[in-house]
Amino acid sequence: MSEEYILDEFFGPRPSDTPLGIVVGGSLSSGLDVKVDSHLSIEKLAVGRYVVIEGRSGRRFFGLITDISLGSTNPDLSRRPPDTQDPFIAEIYNGEVAFGMIHISPMLVIDQSGGEPRPIKTIPSHFSPVIEATAQDVANVFGEEDEIHFFVGTPLEMEGVQVNLDLSRFVERSSGVFGKSGTGKSFITRTLLAGIIKSSIASSLIFDMHNDYGWMVRDEGGREFKGLRQLFTDGRVSVVTLDEETSRARKSKIDRVLKIGYEQIEPEDVEMLAGLLGLSDVQVGALYYLRRRLGRRWIAKLLEEEEATDELQDLLQDGRIIAGTLGAIQRKFEFFRRMGFLVPGEGDDALDDIFNRLRMGISVVLEFGRYGDTLAAYVLVANYLTRRIHNRYVRMKNQAAGGKADEPKPLVIVIEEAHKFLDPSIAGHTIFGNIARELRKYNVTLLIVDQRPSGIDDEVMSQIGSRVTCLLDNEADIRAVFSGVSGANALREVLARLDTRQQALILGHAVPMPVVVRTRDYDEGFYAAIGLSEGDALRDKAKDSSNTLFGE
Amino acid sequence: MDPIFIGRVTRCSTRGYVGALRAPDPELPVFGGFCKAGAQQGKSYVIGVIYNISIEDDELTRQMAATEKPVDEELADQQFLRQVPVEYSVLSIGYQSNDRFIYSLPPQPPLSLASIQVMSSDEILNFTKHLDFIPLILSADNLPADDLLAACLRNAASTRHGPEQTAFLIDAGRTCARLLSNDLNRLDHVLRNLKTEAMRKT
Repeated sequence: MSEEYILDEFFGPRPSDTPLGIVVGGSLSSGLDVKVDSHLSIEKLAVGRYVVIEGRSGRRFFGLITDISLGSTNPDLSRRPPDTQDPFIAEIYNGEVAFGMIHISPMLVIDQSGGEPRPIKTIPSHFSPVIEATAQDVANVFGEEDEIHFFVGTPLEMEGVQVNLDLSRFVERSSGVFGKSGTGKSFITRTLLAGIIKSSIASSLIFDMHNDYGWMVRDEGGREFKGLRQLFTDGRVSVVTLDEETSRARKSKIDRVLKIGYEQIEPEDVEMLAGLLGLSDVQVGALYYLRRRLGRRWIAKLLEEEEATDELQDLLQDGRIIAGTLGAIQRKFEFFRRMGFLVPGEGDDALDDIFNRLRMGISVVLEFGRYGDTLAAYVLVANYLTRRIHNRYVRMKNQAAGGKADEPKPLVIVIEEAHKFLDPSIAGHTIFGNIARELRKYNVTLLIVDQRPSGIDDEVMSQIGSRVTCLLDNEADIRAVFSGVSGANALREVLARLDTRQQALILGHAVPMPVVVRTRDYDEGFYAAIGLSEGDALRDKAKDSSNTLFGE
Repeated sequence: MDPIFIGRVTRCSTRGYVGALRAPDPELPVFGGFCKAGAQQGKSYVIGVIYNISIEDDELTRQMAATEKPVDEELADQQFLRQVPVEYSVLSIGYQSNDRFIYSLPPQPPLSLASIQVMSSDEILNFTKHLDFIPLILSADNLPADDLLAACLRNAASTRHGPEQTAFLIDAGRTCARLLSNDLNRLDHVLRNLKTEAMRKT
């Protein structure tokens, strides 16, 4: 007889084994209604908790509490409540005539023979007892942490149970991290990226708008946290900056500076800025014409960096473009002059360098420095790099299909303020829209970080495989996050009631069932788990290495 | 302790019986009291609760009532030694057969003149461990079922003490709540009457 069993016999069943209530109705699509046991206070329950329903056939159904309500057997009770001053009468009414109801979304089923939990296709029968899931039940569902399963956090009120994200599935399709600003999106994203980098499952290209990922960041309370470059000291992360000055001022270690030559910019790169620069359709059309007529140096010529007055005059005389349009484009192109990372001439080989790093499995953080505040700069650079790198991936993948090259290493492109790239009016024809839609065809996927998911094209949203969602309270945003998710209605209540800090709802491809987690602390413990050694640990490690090399 | 005799059956049916005795004790029989009478030639006991204790009049009582100053001896004679018995009705709520309690109507009522006994505290305690007799009381017609139910449950509660008594009343109250949830006025009435004196004081 095991010790646990003896204890159970002595003390009676553990509290979690006493039923919360019994199933009294519901359906597979709308979830199950459970009448709460009259001895249990409804105030001790909370949405987002896990429950296990013991089916009559021996199957165990695993579900999530998604709503809690007050019920009564008699509708008159609300109009004529009993005398609650009398504790005796109140006690009798509670739980019998007036009772608590919980609504459960069934998620998974475990067969009587045990084994892996499977998605649910049926529901437990009437009056099946519902018990609170134990830590062991939850741990069974989310599996063990291993090379591809990354520990992201613990379920609410279940310290010690790990929710492990399947990273291979996470990078297989595009994913999203959503939440109002200040809810910890970038901390969660940094944690996820650290997991991806540690597992070497994919390389990532991070367009770091607010300098959150590469080097040290401070939270609102002024505490310092290490960036990815500091966590991976073995060269698995490179930092490329657009703004060397700011990066140096922040004492950020940088691996190279990105400069883009005017001649490297194509009309397609500028087209995406149409909304931000205020270019009309006619003006956008004219860009392609100008590029064809003026050649590679078209931007320099339009900015009158080079003597090209005659050429421009010729264009006007042709009548294919009117002076007003040309003048407007020239005025709007003045923006390029203000961007220090755009330089006249052919530019350098930064693109090849970044591509090679990614191909070798090195993740690249692109710091925007002070240009991060200029959305147009962010959109321009993200679009510029992504288009070219994606093209190369497509080429490599096609060659690999023909047996002429190796399969390219999966790439995750991280973009912030994603609704600016995936707006319904432009998502149809931008590179980011394409990547989101084509899934893993070319081994390139997106990790979208956004606070306004309702601004993202529906078609793109529906293709997002895994969603990590912090608190959202705007109705449209909540609806957007759940688009394309079956049984999402029930989860809305859960999402709207998350804490503002360190809590997230994870759903989709990478987890067996939707889960609300308290995300992992991003602190020394995390650094150590990622493999960073500091202080004594670092000295020991160095000693070990030297012993291995030179003998003790 | 010998069982306490409280009269004999005069009329009976499956639903209940009528008992009669010469003169009542101040404590017996009482409204809501548990009693039993043998049936099926001793094979079973029909268990019931007492309601509607009645005393019929006769010519002499009516005349004496009109007398201005009745003689004390005559009064005592009329009250305690009268030939017309005190009658009470009993509602069947179960029966005992082979030392088991069954909470439904008995297969056969007691025969006339079968002796009726008050149930002892232990018997009441054992019988009321299950509350399945409550529906039989609530569904009875033409009698004050709600008051009867409250009185008999209070009676059953008095065989228990302390927290056990409260737990019993709450349990019984919940059963009533389940059965009367469609009629909140009735439920309220039963619950108010269910409280023991001690509970009323607190």
